[in-house]
Amino acid sequence: MESKPKILIIDDEEVVLDSCTQILRGGNYDISTASNGTLGLKLAQDIQPDLVFVDLKMPGISGFEVLEKISEIDPNIVMIVITGYATVSSAVDAMKKGAYDFLPKPFTPDEFRLITQRGLERRKLTLETIALRREKELLREQFASIVSHELKAPLGAVQQNLFALEFELANVLNKAQKEKMERIKVRIGELLQMINSWLRAISVDISKLKENFEQIFIADPISRAIENIESLAVRKNIEVISSVSASLPSIIGDNISLSEAFINIIGNAIKYSHDGSKVTMQVEEKENNLLISIKDTGIGVSEEDIPHIFDGFYRGKSGQAAASGHGIGLAVSRQIIEAHNGSISVESELGKGTTFVISLPIFKA
Amino acid sequence: MTKRLLMIDDDPDFVSGIKAILDAANFEVDVAYNPKDGLNALQSKQYDLLLLDIMMGRGAEGVMIARKLRKDAKLREMPVLIITGMREQIAFLFPGEPIHPRFVEVDELVEKPVEPKMLIEKVNNLIQTAEARKAGKK
Repeated sequence: MESKPKILIIDDEEVVLDSCTQILRGGNYDISTASNGTLGLKLAQDIQPDLVFVDLKMPGISGFEVLEKISEIDPNIVMIVITGYATVSSAVDAMKKGAYDFLPKPFTPDEFRLITQRGLERRKLTLETIALRREKELLREQFASIVSHELKAPLGAVQQNLFALEFELANVLNKAQKEKMERIKVRIGELLQMINSWLRAISVDISKLKENFEQIFIADPISRAIENIESLAVRKNIEVISSVSASLPSIIGDNISLSEAFINIIGNAIKYSHDGSKVTMQVEEKENNLLISIKDTGIGVSEEDIPHIFDGFYRGKSGQAAASGHGIGLAVSRQIIEAHNGSISVESELGKGTTFVISLPIFKA
Repeated sequence: MTKRLLMIDDDPDFVSGIKAILDAANFEVDVAYNPKDGLNALQSKQYDLLLLDIMMGRGAEGVMIARKLRKDAKLREMPVLIITGMREQIAFLFPGEPIHPRFVEVDELVEKPVEPKMLIEKVNNLIQTAEARKAGKK
């Protein structure tokens, strides 16, 4: 509403139209009036007002119908009802039709000014909310491509040239120089990985997950996840033990996103485990659910951190610098699991280890 | 015989990092910095392998090139190594799978940046497989 707020007043009593116009004169408004519903609707269509006053009792089409039609033109136009036969039930009816407020006749100029101001504030808030929401959505959509191009491309080019340089200098560099080269490569590699995990987190469109749901067996996404995470486990010399019975009942879900969730959680367990330890994965049937537990004997999570670990970008005060973890993985995992009508919980003791338990409803034919 | 490769990628800095490695490994590498020059080069010269970027220009123009190749009777047989920075987006759709959505019949996909050893290995393998297939057909 950069320009003058547009106010439309629809009332069959000329004296009301005149006095309202009079009261608001001097304020910075663009005021239009109509003496019946039909004219009012036409004007509303033409000028797209910010605020409309509607008399409930008019000859011709009723105020209630006008409210309904204006909502159809634009549901974000703020509508206020004026009427002489103010009763609670007519007010309630008007509110149900989308009116924002109610002004009984007769009213004082101050009352009218105040309600006008409130109505316009409401309109402003509504418009701002819409703009914000649209901006947020746009950002989310564009973020993936911005991130991949503006951040990943230059880093990738740097790393590629480094690879080339190292390759060309393979027989020239001494041990200390090679070490420096390695350090640069590792740090750039970590940066690239971090960008990738952010990318993955924002490109999961949770709302569309359900479109791919089908009957699946839990062993499937679990074995995919373990395969995917193998190199990380080998690097830290961690054994991932999984016992998944072939006779478990099926669930309804999406293989790919579920394995993504498991990758995040197993990966997390590996990251925060001590070298040479074990990560154990088990599935059991309990009542109407499958309970999938992932247990490590690593550094654990402190009690105060537990409520936050599924929040995006949270990594815990005691989160060790050694682990290049990114809290966002757990946030995404939770969203995926909740999209499957499941839940995820965590139990942990600092220094002893952590157990994640995922519960997914069993499919009933 | 020296193998001749064409690389289509719009990032000159990245290209130099790949080309240096392939040069050192005795490949002959031509470069096109946009899809149009790339397609022209493919029409005018014969290559043993194409190194193809996906995200170029206004979007995934690399995919458009791959589609054109697939329709071209002569170029269809040429192996393609897709080198892309967008594997993450693809990987989310196919996590843990060795395959990727095939853009052309005879392609393979690696993610930027590419380790020298792996790059040379992939290039050699793709060329050898293509030659073996050709020999088998005759």
